[in-house]
Amino acid sequence: MASGKNKDNYIINVEHLNKHFLVDKKPVQVLSDINLHIKKGEFITIVGHSGCGKSTLLKIMCGLVDYEDGIVERNGHAVAGPGPKCGMVFQDHRLLPWLKIKDNIGFGLKKLSKEEREANVKKHLELVGLSGFENSYPSQLSGGMSQRAAIARGLANNPTILLLDEPFGALDALTRIQMQKEILRIQQEEKTTMVMVTHDIDEAIYLGNRIVVMSARPGRIMEIIKVNPVDGKKRGSAGFAAYKKRIYDYFFENSNEEDEAKDIL
Amino acid sequence: MSKGKKFIYGLILPVIIVISWYLYTTFSNVPNSLLPKIQNVFMAFNEMVSQGQLQNDLAVSFLRVVKGFLVSGVIGILLGAMMGMSQKISAMLLPTITAIRQIPVIAWIPLIILWAGIGEGSKVVIIVIAASFPVLVNTLSGFTSTPAGYIEVARLYNLNRWQTFLKVYLPHALPQMLVGLKLGLSVSWMALVASELIAASSGIGYRMNDARSLMRSDKVIVCMVVIGLAGIIMDKVISIIFETITPWEKIAKSEGK
Repeated sequence: MASGKNKDNYIINVEHLNKHFLVDKKPVQVLSDINLHIKKGEFITIVGHSGCGKSTLLKIMCGLVDYEDGIVERNGHAVAGPGPKCGMVFQDHRLLPWLKIKDNIGFGLKKLSKEEREANVKKHLELVGLSGFENSYPSQLSGGMSQRAAIARGLANNPTILLLDEPFGALDALTRIQMQKEILRIQQEEKTTMVMVTHDIDEAIYLGNRIVVMSARPGRIMEIIKVNPVDGKKRGSAGFAAYKKRIYDYFFENSNEEDEAKDIL
Repeated sequence: MSKGKKFIYGLILPVIIVISWYLYTTFSNVPNSLLPKIQNVFMAFNEMVSQGQLQNDLAVSFLRVVKGFLVSGVIGILLGAMMGMSQKISAMLLPTITAIRQIPVIAWIPLIILWAGIGEGSKVVIIVIAASFPVLVNTLSGFTSTPAGYIEVARLYNLNRWQTFLKVYLPHALPQMLVGLKLGLSVSWMALVASELIAASSGIGYRMNDARSLMRSDKVIVCMVVIGLAGIIMDKVISIIFETITPWEKIAKSEGK
Protein backbone atom coordinates (compact mmCIF):
# COMPACT_ATOMS: atom_id res chain seq x y z
CA MET A 1 0.00 0.00 0.00
CA ALA A 2 1.58 3.23 -1.19
CA SER A 3 -0.12 5.39 1.40
CA GLY A 4 1.18 3.23 4.22
CA LYS A 5 4.87 3.91 3.78
CA ASN A 6 5.22 6.81 6.23
CA LYS A 7 2.41 5.82 8.54
CA ASP A 8 4.32 6.71 11.69
CA ASN A 9 4.49 10.37 10.73
CA TYR A 10 0.76 10.69 10.54
CA ILE A 11 -1.28 12.05 13.42
CA ILE A 12 -4.40 10.79 11.67
CA ASN A 13 -4.39 8.00 9.13
CA VAL A 14 -7.68 7.05 7.49
CA GLU A 15 -7.72 4.36 4.82
CA HIS A 16 -10.68 2.97 2.89
CA LEU A 17 -13.15 4.05 5.55
CA ASN A 18 -16.80 3.29 4.90
CA LYS A 19 -19.57 4.09 7.32
CA HIS A 20 -23.30 3.59 7.24
CA PHE A 21 -26.10 4.35 9.65
CA LEU A 22 -29.35 2.45 9.99
CA VAL A 23 -32.31 4.65 9.12
CA ASP A 24 -35.66 2.87 9.51
CA LYS A 25 -33.72 -0.40 9.70
CA LYS A 26 -32.21 0.23 6.27
CA PRO A 27 -28.50 0.94 5.94
CA VAL A 28 -27.71 4.39 4.55
CA GLN A 29 -24.13 4.96 3.52
CA VAL A 30 -22.73 8.21 4.92
CA LEU A 31 -19.02 7.83 4.13
CA SER A 32 -17.57 6.06 1.15
CA ASP A 33 -13.93 5.03 0.73
CA ILE A 34 -12.38 7.88 2.69
CA ASN A 35 -8.58 8.11 2.53
CA LEU A 36 -6.95 10.90 4.47
CA HIS A 37 -3.52 11.31 6.01
CA ILE A 38 -2.84 14.21 8.32
CA LYS A 39 0.67 15.18 9.32
CA LYS A 40 1.76 16.86 12.52
CA GLY A 41 1.17 20.60 12.58
CA GLU A 42 -1.17 20.67 9.60
CA PHE A 43 -4.41 22.64 9.48
CA ILE A 44 -6.91 20.64 7.46
CA THR A 45 -10.30 22.06 6.53
CA ILE A 46 -13.16 19.90 5.29
CA VAL A 47 -15.91 21.51 3.18
CA GLY A 48 -19.10 19.96 1.95
CA HIS A 49 -22.86 20.26 1.99
CA SER A 50 -24.61 19.71 5.27
CA GLY A 51 -25.35 16.03 5.62
CA CYS A 52 -22.29 14.93 3.66
CA GLY A 53 -20.90 13.06 6.63
CA LYS A 54 -18.12 15.48 7.48
CA SER A 55 -19.12 15.72 11.14
CA THR A 56 -19.40 11.94 11.29
CA LEU A 57 -15.86 11.71 9.91
CA LEU A 58 -14.62 13.99 12.73
CA LYS A 59 -16.46 11.99 15.36
CA ILE A 60 -14.95 8.78 14.00
CA MET A 61 -11.49 10.36 14.22
CA CYS A 62 -11.96 11.22 17.89
CA GLY A 63 -13.67 7.94 18.73
CA LEU A 64 -17.16 9.20 19.52
CA VAL A 65 -18.66 7.22 16.62
CA ASP A 66 -17.76 3.62 15.76
CA TYR A 67 -16.66 2.45 12.35
CA GLU A 68 -16.83 -1.06 10.95
CA ASP A 69 -14.97 -0.94 7.68
CA GLY A 70 -11.50 0.47 6.98
CA ILE A 71 -8.56 1.76 8.99
CA VAL A 72 -8.68 4.77 11.29
CA GLU A 73 -5.51 5.44 13.25
CA ARG A 74 -4.73 8.29 15.62
CA ASN A 75 -1.13 8.80 16.78
CA GLY A 76 -0.29 5.45 15.24
CA HIS A 77 -2.96 3.38 17.02
CA ALA A 78 -6.34 2.23 15.79
CA VAL A 79 -9.02 4.50 17.24
CA ALA A 80 -10.98 2.60 19.87
CA GLY A 81 -12.60 5.48 21.74
CA PRO A 82 -12.01 9.03 22.92
CA GLY A 83 -8.67 9.83 24.50
CA PRO A 84 -6.95 12.83 26.08
CA LYS A 85 -4.68 13.33 23.08
CA CYS A 86 -7.62 14.32 20.91
CA GLY A 87 -9.57 17.49 21.68
CA MET A 88 -12.87 18.48 20.13
CA VAL A 89 -14.81 21.73 19.73
CA PHE A 90 -18.47 21.64 18.72
CA GLN A 91 -20.63 24.21 16.92
CA ASP A 92 -22.80 24.73 20.01
CA HIS A 93 -19.98 25.39 22.45
CA ARG A 94 -21.28 22.77 24.91
CA LEU A 95 -19.83 24.45 27.96
CA LEU A 96 -21.57 23.02 31.00
CA PRO A 97 -23.82 25.81 32.32
CA TRP A 98 -23.30 24.83 35.98
CA LEU A 99 -19.51 25.13 35.87
CA LYS A 100 -17.54 28.37 36.01
CA ILE A 101 -15.38 29.03 32.96
CA LYS A 102 -12.24 27.86 34.78
CA ASP A 103 -13.92 24.57 35.71
CA ASN A 104 -15.22 24.10 32.19
CA ILE A 105 -11.72 24.53 30.80
CA GLY A 106 -10.32 22.17 33.42
CA PHE A 107 -13.13 19.65 32.90
CA GLY A 108 -10.93 17.00 31.31
CA LEU A 109 -7.93 17.53 33.62
CA LYS A 110 -8.52 14.68 36.00
CA LYS A 111 -5.05 13.54 36.89
CA LEU A 112 -3.44 16.89 37.70
CA SER A 113 -2.87 18.32 41.17
CA LYS A 114 -4.81 21.43 42.13
CA GLU A 115 -1.86 23.75 41.43
CA GLU A 116 -1.03 22.18 38.07
CA ARG A 117 -4.66 22.36 37.11
CA GLU A 118 -4.92 26.03 38.04
CA ALA A 119 -1.75 26.88 36.13
CA ASN A 120 -2.98 24.97 33.09
CA VAL A 121 -6.36 26.70 33.11
CA LYS A 122 -4.72 30.10 33.56
CA LYS A 123 -2.40 29.49 30.62
CA HIS A 124 -5.23 28.47 28.31
CA LEU A 125 -7.43 31.35 29.43
CA GLU A 126 -4.62 33.69 28.41
CA LEU A 127 -4.12 31.82 25.15
CA VAL A 128 -7.72 32.40 24.04
CA GLY A 129 -7.90 35.93 25.49
CA LEU A 130 -10.35 35.23 28.30
CA SER A 131 -8.24 36.21 31.32
CA GLY A 132 -10.47 37.74 33.97
CA PHE A 133 -13.46 35.56 33.07
CA GLU A 134 -12.41 32.48 35.05
CA ASN A 135 -15.19 32.91 37.59
CA SER A 136 -17.95 33.72 35.13
CA TYR A 137 -20.61 31.24 34.14
CA PRO A 138 -21.15 30.35 30.46
CA SER A 139 -24.47 32.25 30.36
CA GLN A 140 -22.54 35.45 31.00
CA LEU A 141 -20.38 35.07 27.89
CA SER A 142 -21.17 36.10 24.32
CA GLY A 143 -21.19 33.51 21.53
CA GLY A 144 -17.63 34.32 20.45
CA MET A 145 -16.32 34.22 24.01
CA SER A 146 -18.05 30.91 24.68
CA GLN A 147 -16.40 29.46 21.61
CA ARG A 148 -13.02 30.74 22.85
CA ALA A 149 -13.63 28.95 26.14
CA ALA A 150 -14.59 25.79 24.25
CA ILE A 151 -11.33 25.99 22.29
CA ALA A 152 -9.42 26.42 25.56
CA ARG A 153 -11.16 23.33 26.95
CA GLY A 154 -10.24 21.43 23.80
CA LEU A 155 -6.59 22.42 24.17
CA ALA A 156 -6.26 22.02 27.95
CA ASN A 157 -5.16 18.37 27.75
CA ASN A 158 -2.38 19.34 25.31
CA PRO A 159 -3.85 17.13 22.60
CA THR A 160 -1.80 16.19 19.54
CA ILE A 161 -4.87 17.00 17.47
CA LEU A 162 -7.83 19.34 17.85
CA LEU A 163 -10.97 18.58 15.87
CA LEU A 164 -13.32 21.51 15.24
CA ASP A 165 -16.86 20.81 14.06
CA GLU A 166 -18.14 24.04 12.47
CA PRO A 167 -17.02 25.97 15.54
CA PHE A 168 -17.78 29.42 14.10
CA GLY A 169 -20.96 28.46 12.24
CA ALA A 170 -23.26 30.11 14.74
CA LEU A 171 -21.28 33.35 15.08
CA ASP A 172 -21.99 36.63 13.28
CA ALA A 173 -19.80 37.47 10.28
CA LEU A 174 -17.50 39.94 12.06
CA THR A 175 -16.92 37.75 15.10
CA ARG A 176 -16.31 34.80 12.79
CA ILE A 177 -13.48 36.57 10.94
CA GLN A 178 -11.99 37.65 14.26
CA MET A 179 -12.14 34.06 15.52
CA GLN A 180 -10.53 32.75 12.33
CA LYS A 181 -7.55 35.01 12.97
CA GLU A 182 -7.43 33.88 16.59
CA ILE A 183 -7.49 30.19 15.79
CA LEU A 184 -4.61 30.66 13.30
CA ARG A 185 -2.59 32.48 15.94
CA ILE A 186 -3.39 29.77 18.50
CA GLN A 187 -2.39 27.06 16.05
CA GLN A 188 0.91 28.80 15.37
CA GLU A 189 1.61 29.24 19.09
CA GLU A 190 0.61 25.75 20.18
CA LYS A 191 1.66 23.84 17.02
CA THR A 192 -1.42 21.67 17.48
CA THR A 193 -2.62 19.75 14.44
CA MET A 194 -6.13 20.90 13.62
CA VAL A 195 -8.96 19.57 11.51
CA MET A 196 -11.93 21.86 10.98
CA VAL A 197 -15.22 21.01 9.36
CA THR A 198 -16.94 24.02 7.82
CA HIS A 199 -19.50 24.96 5.20
CA ASP A 200 -17.93 28.37 4.72
CA ILE A 201 -15.66 28.20 1.67
CA ASP A 202 -13.76 31.40 2.52
CA GLU A 203 -13.06 30.01 5.98
CA ALA A 204 -11.82 26.74 4.50
CA ILE A 205 -9.36 28.55 2.20
CA TYR A 206 -8.21 31.07 4.81
CA LEU A 207 -7.47 28.48 7.50
CA GLY A 208 -6.52 25.33 5.65
CA ASN A 209 -3.10 24.16 4.55
CA ARG A 210 -5.12 21.61 2.67
CA ILE A 211 -8.84 21.65 1.87
CA VAL A 212 -10.74 18.39 1.69
CA VAL A 213 -13.73 18.80 -0.65
CA MET A 214 -16.48 16.29 0.00
CA SER A 215 -19.51 15.27 -2.01
CA ALA A 216 -22.89 14.66 -0.42
CA ARG A 217 -24.56 11.31 0.32
CA PRO A 218 -22.58 9.20 0.49
CA GLY A 219 -19.73 11.45 1.61
CA ARG A 220 -16.78 10.91 -0.67
CA ILE A 221 -13.57 12.94 -0.99
CA MET A 222 -13.65 14.65 -4.38
CA GLU A 223 -10.36 16.51 -4.12
CA ILE A 224 -7.77 17.52 -1.58
CA ILE A 225 -6.58 21.01 -2.50
CA LYS A 226 -3.21 22.20 -1.26
CA VAL A 227 -3.42 25.91 -0.44
CA ASN A 228 -0.57 28.27 -1.25
CA PRO A 229 0.22 29.91 2.10
CA VAL A 230 0.48 33.41 0.58
CA ASP A 231 -2.71 33.44 -1.51
CA GLY A 232 -4.74 31.62 1.11
CA LYS A 233 -4.22 34.33 3.71
CA LYS A 234 -5.18 37.23 1.41
CA ARG A 235 -8.95 37.25 1.10
CA GLY A 236 -8.98 39.78 -1.75
CA SER A 237 -6.25 38.20 -3.87
CA ALA A 238 -6.71 36.62 -7.30
CA GLY A 239 -5.25 33.38 -5.97
CA PHE A 240 -7.88 33.29 -3.21
CA ALA A 241 -10.65 33.85 -5.76
CA ALA A 242 -9.27 31.07 -7.94
CA TYR A 243 -9.45 28.60 -5.02
CA LYS A 244 -12.97 29.76 -4.34
CA LYS A 245 -14.02 29.21 -7.96
CA ARG A 246 -12.44 25.78 -7.96
CA ILE A 247 -14.40 24.72 -4.88
CA TYR A 248 -17.66 26.32 -6.07
CA ASP A 249 -17.40 24.38 -9.28
CA TYR A 250 -17.57 21.14 -7.36
CA PHE A 251 -20.85 22.04 -5.77
CA PHE A 252 -22.57 24.08 -8.48
CA GLU A 253 -22.04 23.16 -12.08
CA ASN A 254 -23.32 26.09 -14.11
CA SER A 255 -22.61 29.74 -13.54
CA ASN A 256 -26.21 30.81 -12.78
CA GLU A 257 -26.27 28.58 -9.78
CA GLU A 258 -22.94 29.97 -8.77
CA ASP A 259 -24.49 33.42 -8.31
CA GLU A 260 -27.14 31.90 -6.11
CA ALA A 261 -24.48 30.05 -4.23
CA LYS A 262 -22.70 33.28 -3.44
CA ASP A 263 -25.81 34.47 -1.66
CA ILE A 264 -26.08 31.28 0.30
CA LEU A 265 -22.48 30.79 1.22
CA MET B 1 -43.84 47.62 37.24
CA SER B 2 -41.77 48.70 40.23
CA LYS B 3 -41.54 46.51 43.31
CA GLY B 4 -43.42 48.99 45.50
CA LYS B 5 -46.26 49.30 43.01
CA LYS B 6 -46.54 45.54 42.69
CA PHE B 7 -46.76 45.25 46.47
CA ILE B 8 -49.56 47.82 46.62
CA TYR B 9 -51.50 46.11 43.83
CA GLY B 10 -51.14 42.82 45.69
CA LEU B 11 -52.62 44.39 48.83
CA ILE B 12 -55.85 45.61 47.20
CA LEU B 13 -57.77 42.33 47.34
CA PRO B 14 -56.85 41.36 50.94
CA VAL B 15 -57.83 44.85 52.15
CA ILE B 16 -61.21 44.60 50.41
CA ILE B 17 -61.80 41.17 51.97
CA VAL B 18 -60.92 42.37 55.48
CA ILE B 19 -63.10 45.50 55.17
CA SER B 20 -66.07 43.50 53.84
CA TRP B 21 -65.60 41.00 56.60
CA TYR B 22 -65.51 43.78 59.18
CA LEU B 23 -68.61 45.53 57.77
CA TYR B 24 -70.57 42.30 57.41
CA THR B 25 -69.88 41.07 60.95
CA THR B 26 -70.54 44.53 62.44
CA PHE B 27 -73.77 45.43 60.64
CA SER B 28 -75.50 42.06 60.26
CA ASN B 29 -76.46 39.60 62.95
CA VAL B 30 -74.53 36.59 61.67
CA PRO B 31 -73.78 34.36 64.70
CA ASN B 32 -70.23 34.52 66.05
CA SER B 33 -70.00 30.73 65.83
CA LEU B 34 -70.33 30.86 62.02
CA LEU B 35 -68.34 33.97 61.16
CA PRO B 36 -66.53 35.67 64.04
CA LYS B 37 -65.66 39.35 64.20
CA ILE B 38 -62.07 40.16 63.24
CA GLN B 39 -61.23 41.34 66.73
CA ASN B 40 -62.47 38.01 68.10
CA VAL B 41 -60.04 36.18 65.84
CA PHE B 42 -57.19 38.27 67.25
CA MET B 43 -58.39 37.53 70.76
CA ALA B 44 -58.55 33.82 69.99
CA PHE B 45 -55.01 34.05 68.62
CA ASN B 46 -53.82 35.72 71.85
CA GLU B 47 -55.60 33.14 73.93
CA MET B 48 -54.10 30.21 72.01
CA VAL B 49 -50.58 31.69 72.15
CA SER B 50 -50.72 32.58 75.82
CA GLN B 51 -51.87 29.04 76.70
CA GLY B 52 -49.04 27.67 74.53
CA GLN B 53 -51.60 25.63 72.60
CA LEU B 54 -50.85 27.09 69.16
CA GLN B 55 -47.08 26.67 69.52
CA ASN B 56 -47.49 23.08 70.66
CA ASP B 57 -49.83 22.16 67.81
CA LEU B 58 -47.64 23.86 65.27
CA ALA B 59 -44.51 22.16 66.60
CA VAL B 60 -46.17 18.73 66.49
CA SER B 61 -47.37 19.27 62.90
CA PHE B 62 -44.07 20.79 61.79
CA LEU B 63 -42.10 17.83 63.09
CA ARG B 64 -44.37 15.43 61.19
CA VAL B 65 -43.93 17.44 57.98
CA VAL B 66 -40.15 17.47 58.40
CA LYS B 67 -40.01 13.70 58.95
CA GLY B 68 -42.36 12.88 56.10
CA PHE B 69 -40.79 15.38 53.74
CA LEU B 70 -37.25 14.10 54.35
CA VAL B 71 -38.29 10.51 53.70
CA SER B 72 -40.19 11.58 50.56
CA GLY B 73 -37.21 13.56 49.34
CA VAL B 74 -34.85 10.61 49.73
CA ILE B 75 -37.27 8.14 48.10
CA GLY B 76 -38.24 10.51 45.28
CA ILE B 77 -34.68 11.55 44.43
CA LEU B 78 -33.25 8.01 44.65
CA LEU B 79 -35.96 6.42 42.52
CA GLY B 80 -36.09 9.36 40.12
CA ALA B 81 -32.32 9.32 39.61
CA MET B 82 -32.21 5.54 39.14
CA MET B 83 -35.05 5.65 36.64
CA GLY B 84 -33.44 8.60 34.88
CA MET B 85 -30.10 6.79 34.53
CA SER B 86 -31.47 3.37 33.53
CA GLN B 87 -34.12 2.74 30.92
CA LYS B 88 -34.63 -0.77 32.31
CA ILE B 89 -35.48 0.45 35.81
CA SER B 90 -37.71 3.14 34.33
CA ALA B 91 -39.58 0.65 32.12
CA MET B 92 -40.06 -1.59 35.15
CA LEU B 93 -41.36 1.03 37.60
CA LEU B 94 -42.96 3.84 35.61
CA PRO B 95 -46.29 2.17 34.67
CA THR B 96 -46.97 1.11 38.28
CA ILE B 97 -45.97 4.48 39.66
CA THR B 98 -48.16 6.31 37.14
CA ALA B 99 -51.10 4.10 38.12
CA ILE B 100 -50.65 4.57 41.88
CA ARG B 101 -50.25 8.31 41.43
CA GLN B 102 -53.84 8.56 40.19
CA ILE B 103 -55.18 7.69 43.65
CA PRO B 104 -55.76 10.89 45.68
CA VAL B 105 -53.85 10.85 48.93
CA ILE B 106 -57.06 11.29 50.97
CA ALA B 107 -58.23 7.94 49.59
CA TRP B 108 -55.22 6.29 51.22
CA ILE B 109 -56.05 7.58 54.70
CA PRO B 110 -58.63 4.88 55.71
CA LEU B 111 -56.28 2.04 54.79
CA ILE B 112 -53.31 3.72 56.48
CA ILE B 113 -55.35 4.16 59.67
CA LEU B 114 -56.25 0.45 59.60
CA TRP B 115 -52.62 -0.48 59.16
CA ALA B 116 -50.79 2.07 61.26
CA GLY B 117 -53.40 3.57 63.58
CA ILE B 118 -53.66 7.32 64.14
CA GLY B 119 -50.23 7.84 65.68
CA GLU B 120 -47.09 9.48 64.36
CA GLY B 121 -46.24 6.63 62.00
CA SER B 122 -49.42 6.90 60.00
CA LYS B 123 -48.96 10.65 59.52
CA VAL B 124 -45.48 10.17 58.14
CA VAL B 125 -46.67 7.39 55.83
CA ILE B 126 -49.44 9.59 54.43
CA ILE B 127 -47.02 12.44 53.77
CA VAL B 128 -44.61 10.07 52.07
CA ILE B 129 -47.34 8.71 49.79
CA ALA B 130 -48.36 12.24 48.86
CA ALA B 131 -44.98 13.97 48.52
CA SER B 132 -42.74 11.29 46.99
CA PHE B 133 -44.43 11.49 43.60
CA PRO B 134 -43.84 15.15 42.72
CA VAL B 135 -40.19 14.78 43.81
CA LEU B 136 -39.78 11.58 41.80
CA VAL B 137 -41.47 12.83 38.63
CA ASN B 138 -39.51 16.08 38.55
CA THR B 139 -36.20 14.39 39.32
CA LEU B 140 -36.84 11.88 36.55
CA SER B 141 -37.65 14.59 34.05
CA GLY B 142 -34.55 16.56 35.08
CA PHE B 143 -32.38 13.53 34.37
CA THR B 144 -34.00 12.43 31.10
CA SER B 145 -33.91 15.94 29.64
CA THR B 146 -30.09 16.16 29.92
CA PRO B 147 -28.94 17.27 26.44
CA ALA B 148 -27.15 14.56 24.46
CA GLY B 149 -24.42 17.09 23.63
CA TYR B 150 -23.34 17.34 27.28
CA ILE B 151 -23.26 13.56 27.60
CA GLU B 152 -21.09 13.45 24.49
CA VAL B 153 -18.68 15.89 26.16
CA ALA B 154 -18.47 13.51 29.12
CA ARG B 155 -17.70 10.63 26.74
CA LEU B 156 -15.08 12.75 25.00
CA TYR B 157 -13.26 13.11 28.31
CA ASN B 158 -13.66 9.42 29.16
CA LEU B 159 -15.82 10.00 32.22
CA ASN B 160 -17.20 6.75 33.62
CA ARG B 161 -20.87 6.28 34.44
CA TRP B 162 -20.55 7.48 38.02
CA GLN B 163 -18.53 10.57 37.05
CA THR B 164 -21.01 11.36 34.28
CA PHE B 165 -23.79 11.07 36.83
CA LEU B 166 -22.07 13.42 39.27
CA LYS B 167 -20.76 15.99 36.79
CA VAL B 168 -23.41 16.06 34.07
CA TYR B 169 -26.76 14.43 34.92
CA LEU B 170 -27.01 15.54 38.54
CA PRO B 171 -26.19 19.25 38.07
CA HIS B 172 -28.45 19.35 35.03
CA ALA B 173 -31.32 17.79 36.97
CA LEU B 174 -30.78 19.89 40.11
CA PRO B 175 -33.00 22.88 39.26
CA GLN B 176 -35.90 20.60 38.40
CA MET B 177 -35.28 18.40 41.43
CA LEU B 178 -35.64 21.52 43.51
CA VAL B 179 -38.95 22.34 41.82
CA GLY B 180 -40.08 18.82 42.76
CA LEU B 181 -38.95 19.25 46.36
CA LYS B 182 -40.77 22.54 46.61
CA LEU B 183 -43.96 20.98 45.30
CA GLY B 184 -43.39 18.02 47.60
CA LEU B 185 -43.14 20.29 50.62
CA SER B 186 -46.41 22.03 49.92
CA VAL B 187 -48.09 18.68 49.24
CA SER B 188 -46.65 17.34 52.54
CA TRP B 189 -48.24 20.17 54.43
CA MET B 190 -51.62 19.67 52.75
CA ALA B 191 -51.61 15.90 53.22
CA LEU B 192 -50.72 16.30 56.87
CA VAL B 193 -53.48 18.76 57.65
CA ALA B 194 -55.98 16.53 55.84
CA SER B 195 -54.90 13.47 57.82
CA GLU B 196 -54.95 15.39 61.12
CA LEU B 197 -58.45 16.60 60.37
CA ILE B 198 -59.62 13.04 59.82
CA ALA B 199 -57.84 11.21 62.58
CA ALA B 200 -55.41 12.67 65.11
CA SER B 201 -55.10 13.60 68.75
CA SER B 202 -52.68 16.47 68.26
CA GLY B 203 -51.45 18.90 65.63
CA ILE B 204 -52.83 21.96 63.93
CA GLY B 205 -55.40 20.00 61.89
CA TYR B 206 -56.65 18.27 65.02
CA ARG B 207 -56.97 21.66 66.75
CA MET B 208 -59.15 22.94 63.93
CA ASN B 209 -61.46 19.99 64.14
CA ASP B 210 -61.60 20.30 67.91
CA ALA B 211 -62.46 24.00 67.64
CA ARG B 212 -65.16 23.20 65.10
CA SER B 213 -66.81 20.74 67.49
CA LEU B 214 -66.82 23.49 70.13
CA MET B 215 -68.32 25.95 67.63
CA ARG B 216 -65.18 28.13 67.92
CA SER B 217 -64.98 29.44 64.34
CA ASP B 218 -62.55 32.13 65.54
CA LYS B 219 -60.05 29.42 66.50
CA VAL B 220 -60.64 27.60 63.20
CA ILE B 221 -59.74 30.78 61.32
CA VAL B 222 -56.60 31.32 63.44
CA CYS B 223 -55.49 27.80 62.51
CA MET B 224 -56.20 28.38 58.81
CA VAL B 225 -54.17 31.58 58.77
CA VAL B 226 -51.31 29.92 60.64
CA ILE B 227 -51.29 26.99 58.18
CA GLY B 228 -51.12 29.42 55.25
CA LEU B 229 -48.32 31.45 56.81
CA ALA B 230 -46.30 28.36 57.76
CA GLY B 231 -46.57 27.16 54.15
CA ILE B 232 -45.35 30.48 52.77
CA ILE B 233 -42.41 30.59 55.18
CA MET B 234 -41.30 27.02 54.37
CA ASP B 235 -41.60 27.75 50.65
CA LYS B 236 -39.43 30.86 51.03
CA VAL B 237 -36.81 29.04 53.10
CA ILE B 238 -36.52 26.29 50.53
CA SER B 239 -36.28 28.86 47.69
CA ILE B 240 -33.36 30.54 49.43
CA ILE B 241 -31.58 27.22 49.95
CA PHE B 242 -32.07 26.36 46.25
CA GLU B 243 -30.72 29.66 45.02
CA THR B 244 -27.56 29.14 47.04
CA ILE B 245 -26.85 25.69 45.64
CA THR B 246 -27.60 26.55 41.99
CA PRO B 247 -25.98 29.97 41.56
CA TRP B 248 -25.67 29.55 37.77
CA GLU B 249 -29.45 29.43 37.40
CA LYS B 250 -29.98 32.85 38.91
CA ILE B 251 -27.21 34.34 36.76
CA ALA B 252 -28.59 32.74 33.60
CA LYS B 253 -32.03 34.16 34.39
CA SER B 254 -30.67 37.65 34.94
CA GLU B 255 -28.81 37.36 31.61
CA GLY B 256 -32.09 36.43 29.99
CA LYS B 257 -30.90 32.98 28.92
